[in-house]
Parts: sequence; structure tokens; C-alpha cells
Amino acid sequence: MTLNLKTSTVETREQRLGTIIGWDGTASKLADESAFSRGDCGGCGSKARRVCELEGPFTQGSVCSEQMVECQAGNIRDAVLIQHSPIGCGAGQVIYNSIYRNGLAMRGLPVQNIRFISTNLRERDMVYGGADKLAVAIRAAVERHAPKAVFIATSCASGIIGDDVESVARAAEAEFGIPVIPLHCEGFKSKHWSTGFDATQHGILRQIVRKNPEKRQDDLINVINLWGTDVFTPMLAELGLRVNYVVDMATVEQLAQMSEARATVSFCYTLGTYLATALEQEFGVEQIKAPQPYGFPGTDAWLRELARVTGREALAEDYIAREHARVKPLLDELRPKLKGLKGYVATGSAYSHGLIGVLREIGVEVDGSLVFHHDPVYDSEDPRQDSLGHLVENYGDVKHFTVGNRQQYQFYNLLQRVKPDFIIIRHNGLAPLAARLGIPAIPLGDEHHALGYQGMVNLGESILAALQHRKFHQDIAKRVSLPYKQSWLAQKDPFALSRSAVA
Amino acid sequence: MAILALKSRPTEITPDADKSGPIELVRYVCAIGAMQSAAAIPRVVPITHCGPGCADKQYMNLAFYNGFQGSGYGGGPVVPSTNASQREVIFGGADRLRELIDSSQTVLDADLFVVLTGCIPDLVGDDVGSVVRDFQKKGVPIVYAETGGFRGNNFTGHEAVTQAIIEQYLGPWDGVREQGLVNLWSLLPYQNTFWRGDLEEIKRLLESIGLKVNVLFGPDSAGLGEWRSIPRAQFNLVLSPWLGLSTAKLLEARYDQPYLHIPVLPIGARQSGEFLRKVAEFAGLAAGPVEQVIAREETRYYNYIDGFTDFYSEYWWGLPARFAVIGDSAYNLALTKFLVTQLGLIPAKQIVTEDPPVEHREAIREQFRAIDHDVSVEIEFAEDSYLIHDAIRKADFGHKPPIIFGTTWERDLVKEMKGSLIEVGFPASYEVVLSRSYVGYRGALSLLERIYSTVVSHSA
Repeated sequence: MTLNLKTSTVETREQRLGTIIGWDGTASKLADESAFSRGDCGGCGSKARRVCELEGPFTQGSVCSEQMVECQAGNIRDAVLIQHSPIGCGAGQVIYNSIYRNGLAMRGLPVQNIRFISTNLRERDMVYGGADKLAVAIRAAVERHAPKAVFIATSCASGIIGDDVESVARAAEAEFGIPVIPLHCEGFKSKHWSTGFDATQHGILRQIVRKNPEKRQDDLINVINLWGTDVFTPMLAELGLRVNYVVDMATVEQLAQMSEARATVSFCYTLGTYLATALEQEFGVEQIKAPQPYGFPGTDAWLRELARVTGREALAEDYIAREHARVKPLLDELRPKLKGLKGYVATGSAYSHGLIGVLREIGVEVDGSLVFHHDPVYDSEDPRQDSLGHLVENYGDVKHFTVGNRQQYQFYNLLQRVKPDFIIIRHNGLAPLAARLGIPAIPLGDEHHALGYQGMVNLGESILAALQHRKFHQDIAKRVSLPYKQSWLAQKDPFALSRSAVA
Repeated sequence: MAILALKSRPTEITPDADKSGPIELVRYVCAIGAMQSAAAIPRVVPITHCGPGCADKQYMNLAFYNGFQGSGYGGGPVVPSTNASQREVIFGGADRLRELIDSSQTVLDADLFVVLTGCIPDLVGDDVGSVVRDFQKKGVPIVYAETGGFRGNNFTGHEAVTQAIIEQYLGPWDGVREQGLVNLWSLLPYQNTFWRGDLEEIKRLLESIGLKVNVLFGPDSAGLGEWRSIPRAQFNLVLSPWLGLSTAKLLEARYDQPYLHIPVLPIGARQSGEFLRKVAEFAGLAAGPVEQVIAREETRYYNYIDGFTDFYSEYWWGLPARFAVIGDSAYNLALTKFLVTQLGLIPAKQIVTEDPPVEHREAIREQFRAIDHDVSVEIEFAEDSYLIHDAIRKADFGHKPPIIFGTTWERDLVKEMKGSLIEVGFPASYEVVLSRSYVGYRGALSLLERIYSTVVSHSA
């Protein structure tokens, strides 16, 4: 499938990839049903919905695409993000400021506030339109911060009233001579927030990335990531390669030069699929098509593919051998300490596939995982990127593999089914429930923590630290009441409501 | 897409001539943020009818990255949401809401559900009232408030939620008033980072002079039992510059219940004593026992102040003389009053940031003008942090490093000005707040500890 960069609105994940947000079964079954191996499951019929999906009447607050735009386009160091919305969408400024500042500090960059401006749409604007306010906000952004680019995040409200964001952006671009980039990310338009990643990347590809690069930077690798510590620079330096981190905390110039790079990699295909595929399609910047770099087989294969594409095989083999020799004794020390423990991974989709592998490498049992959505295929449609298939093939099946968009009420039943000693999370809202059941969480704010060879050691050490936390959680577990009915807590099937709704 | 006529609103959100401009770095959220006001009532669960990100945004930013308060029994990730999609935008979301309310009763253990609407249903014109009334007729404890983000902020949303419960959940009442029972309407839960500890201290003060308090929100509230007893109370106490006034007026009209309005939240002995005397007089309490309580509190308070005096009088390296406060009118006024009257600091700039309704602004200005017998302050109303920071930079802080009472947004500014920052309001992402309070006798001592620990840490 060709990605359509001609229109300003990105196609949603469900349109492109058949993304689902409700499913329960074994990991192998989901891998089989996904397009990478077999395609259509037969029952659903519709083209864009290859995997049968569970839907239910009860849902708790999810996350929207606009939030993902905030956390990407809003964290570019010399750009401004305008939220064309009522003030409530601006609430996200607080969390993404905190995350941004922590990320900058971890990366050794100057710590500073985010630069977000809300157009502050009011009742009157719902009737007369908010285009004027948008123009005022863009002017303010330029005058105040002299940014290298201005992004505009749309909202449910601006989408429904039909503001012509495009025209305002074009006029401003002409006036100010910098890219002014509308990102169409109305929350209601996609069932999964990861469409917001794609919306940001779509805008960057269309209006920032250099269209006709005059030079190639043959040792430059685009690394699609978030705010994680800098583990890629030393790793890629072993292969004589340099890192171009995108999108968070990058500069506009670093985004623009993506088309000059030799190849693109990412820590998670959920995040990177659109940008990496489009860079290859539009500019011939090769996307590394390999398993994600987690655990020995994944990291080995990933490094070898990167080396093959960049012509650095000998360096890679040498590095792989040295790292195996360095890390294996460390893991041998860790494994006895972790023996008998059971972990549960509740994270974004492709990231979970990687983390489960790491846990199994270090001898931790995993028979359950919750992913917040599932993409039956990534944009490359290349089976070498089948991260779930890679997990099942290399590390065996996962008995209770669940897709759900972060529904806390189901998480109780999921945990009862598996009874883990700890959980691994990234997104908010689940660990607080686990904590009240006496189960500690390892929050991977630094998404690179478990990556590569050293990642296995890191994660093992974090587990040992988190287990001590159990004292706190088991104490609080005795003293709290949960907001769920006993009849629901006794329910064995986390999808009981959905199944009865379908029947 | 066509836009439908907007329905009338349950609260007094007046669409004044719109002079609102862009807002950089927000200091409040939208009306549906009041889902956390509902969640602040023990065993009450909000149900949100809105886009998929609204509930998450409001609680993560109000309750998490603002003092890391925690989101409460029925708040935060517990909150049901229709997660409205294209389907609800095009065909309307009333059926989806009905389905969600119905299933919420299967899953959640709540004493009351409060339905809050977001931009989507308020724009497409879902008849939420009719959906909710069907459940009310069946005896389900449920009310609704229209809180679409374009209608107002979380302050007006809070009034909408409060008044929805009063109007839709509390029945008519013609019983006998309980002397000494008082309903407290004060700080905005969650928006004010220290609301839990503060309400606890205010309740303690009121109880110390023999009153019984319906504190209504937070861990010290007895939940809906308290709410049901609202009409029985002798009077309503509005302890804030303006928030809660319209609720008190509603209760006056509905139940012929009087109210006492005290704009200044008391911080320190002078304000706390004055506060207790005013309340006691309004409640008709005998002065003698009240004076005994004040004397006892003051003995403890001034014992600690006595210890602090050594530091305050001879700390070698200089203490700030001039201060600025950037924050909601309630805390801004309370802090300014305390810092000026108790510590003798000089107010350099006071900026009120919660966009108070126009009709209350002059009264707020007057309060600041009369801050002390020899000090008068002219405040500014502003919400855009860029303009706010500009105003702070231009303020006269004299020759000493300033001390700024503000939010996380002021971190970079205060570094640039080589001053000290005390985060006292939303967002306070560099504070972890459990029961800490800055009001009353006890809160004032915590506040002094926080201020001067920050100041002396400069060389740490």
C-alpha cells in the first residue's frame, strides 16, 4: 500500500492497518489472524477489519490522537504548537511539559518549558468560527518565539464547526516564511490514539523534511523515539554510524535532514511505522526491516540488518560477539534472583512484544499481557517486522494476550487471571489499580531502558528493585476499597460485557 | 458539518463580549475538568460523554501533574466515557450515552453518578437531559451537567456540577434548621493543589468553636449524607472571593437559607482569629468560648513563630523583601494578605489567573486595595503566561532577588531572575502534596517552612 502524502489529513490506523482495540486470546492466535501471516479472518468481511474485534457497552476514558500530537509536535525544541481548541485540550500542556523537561534533562539538553499556545475557543467561536483566533495565535507564536516551524493541532470542536485551518495556515506560511503545519487529529476521528503519531509525522513529512536533499549523509541513521536516554549513540558508534533522534526534542533542522539519512530505525513499530515507511517511499531512506532490538535474537537480527543496509557487517559481528560475552555473565547472575517470578506487560502494542521477549530472556515467566491496540500489519507490510510473530517464534506463546485501550475495569480481571508478581507499564491509569491489589509496577518512562543487550540487564535490576516496593503495595491493599462492584470483581471473563453485547 | 442551536445552560455562564485571546501555558482547564469535583465527593462517580481523550487530559493534569494528588475513588482512570467517535458526531450520541449509563451500574459501585458533557454532545445537540431523566425516573441516583469545553472553565464547571446535584438530587425541604450546622463552599478541588489539607484545617477551625461542618468535598466529607443535609444547615459559608457565591444564592432562593461570604481564606493567626470571630457572630455563638479557642490556638502558633523569629531576624544572607503572586484569586488574596500583614513583605505584582466572571472582578480588586491599613495593591487579571511573565519581568523587585508564588510555568522565569519560586497553584508539577495545608493556624506554619526552606536552599 502506498502512503498518501498528497492530502493534508492522514489516513487513520484503522483505515490503513486494520487496527483493533478489543481482543482476547493467545498471542499465537492473534499473530495468525493478523495480516502478516494470513490476512482476512473470514468472519468480519470488511477489508479494513481483518481481525475480529470485541466491542462492549462499558468504556472508560481512553486517550486521543491530539494528545499524541502534543507529545510529539509539542516537544520539538524550536517549534511552537498551537492547539486550535477550547481551553480543555490545553490541559495536556502540563503533562507534556513535565515529560519534556525530564526528557531534556536525561538527554543533557537545556531544560525549558514547552511552547504551546491554545487558541482558547469559546462559545461565540462555536457559532462564528475560530479562524480569526487561529491567525492571531500563529502571529503570537511567531512574534514571541521566532520559531522555525509552527504546528497546529486541530480539536473535536474545531473539526465539528468546520474551521478552515488549511487556509489560515497557508496564509501564515506565506506571510512568515516558515512552515505552518496543520495536523488533523480530532479525537473522534480514530478509535486509537496512535493515529496521532501518524498525523504528526505526516505533517513533518509534508512540510518540513527536505524534498530534494542535495547531499546524502551516509553515516546518519534516523532514530524514531520519544524522550529516552541516549543509548543509540554509543551503540551505533560501534558501527561507525551517527544518530538523528526524531521527533521529540529534535530541532526543526534535525527533522528536515531526515531525507538525507542512510536509514531509519525505531524502538517501537507502533510509533515509527508511518514515518519510517514514508521516508523510504518518498526519499529512498531505507527502513530497517527486522525484529525490534530486544533480547538476543531481536537485537542480533536488528544489528545485522542495519549493518547489511549500511555495509558494516564486520563491525556489527565484532560488536555482537563482544556484547554477548559481556552481557551473558551478568544475566547468569541475575537469572537465579529472578527465578520463579511472574511478570505482566501492559504497554503499547509493539513495545510489549519486545518487552515480553526481554522478560523471558532473563527467566521471568510471562503468561499475560495487555496491549492498548493491535496493528495486524505495519505500513511496510514486510513480514520481517512482524514483531508479534517474532515473539511467538522465538520465545513461545503467551497464554492470555489481550488487546484493550487501557480499560481499568478489565485490568482487575486480567490480573486475577494471571496473578503476576509485578507489572511493566508506560501509560497512566493501570498501575494505580495494580498497586491497590498489592502488585508493584515498573514504569518505563525511559523507553530505552530495556532496549538492546544492556536492556536485559537493566530490566532485571529494575524488577529486583520493584519487588521491594511490594511492602508498600501490600500494606495499602489491605486498606482500600475499589470502585467496582463485587459482582464485576468476581467476573472471570474480562470481556464478559462485550461478549454478551455481541450475542 | 452544520451547527445546531445551543441549549440554555444550567448555570450562569454569561457569554460576555468575547475579548479572550490566545493562552500560552494554561492555568486552568475546561468545564469538564469538574469531573474531578464530582470525584472529590466520596463514592460519587462522574460519567463523561465526550471525545476519547477528554477525561484522561483533565485528571492527569489536574490530579497527577499537579501535586500528584491522586485521582480519588471514582475519578481519573475509573471514569466511564463514551469516547465519542465519528458515529456519535454524525448520528448523535444519546443512545451511546444510555448504553454507557446502563452498563456503568453493572460495573461500578457508586452512590451517585454525575454525567458531564464535553464539546461533542454540546455541539451536535444531544439531549442529555432527557437520557438522564429516564434513569432518574427509574430511581437511579444520577444527575447531569453541561460542561462542554467551550462553555467555560473548570471553575464554572464546578458550579454547574454542584448546582446539578442540588437541583436534581436534593428534593424540596421544609424541615427544622439545625443550629450550628454549616455548609462550606470554598476552594476548587484538585485545581487548588492543597485543597484537601486546607479544607481539613478550615473544618477543624470551625469545629473548634462548636460548629458542625458539611465540608462536602474531599476525605473529610461524609459523602452524600452530607449533601442531603445541605438544606438543614443553619447557613452557607462561602469562603473564597467568588467561587461558591452563585451556589449560595441558589440555596438562598431554593431553601431560604442565609449565607455568609468571607472572601479571604485565613492564613496565620490574625486572619484566622478574624475569620472565627466573623463566623461566630453570624452563627450567633457566644463570644467567650470562641475567644478561649482563639487564645489557645494563638498560644501554640506564637510559640512556633517565636522560634522562627531567631531566623527571621538574623539570617545573614538576606531574605526576600518583595514578592509576586500569580494564581487563582482565592490563594492570591489569602497569600498576599498573610505575607503583607504577618511577614511585612512588599507586594510587587499580583496577577489573578482564573478568569473570574466579570461581575465579581471589581469586588476582588477592592479586597486587594484594602490589603492592610498602609498597603494597597492594584491587581491584574491575565491568563496568558507569556503576558504574565512579561509583567513579572517588568515589576519592581528592588535590589534583592524576588520571591514568586506561582506555578511550574514560572520555573524558567525565576531562574532567569535568580529568585525563589514557591509553587502554590495549578500546575504544581514539582510538588508532591498529601495533606499539606497552607491555611489556618497550622497551614501558615507549613507555609513558612516551605517559603524559607526554599530561600535558604539557594546555596545548597
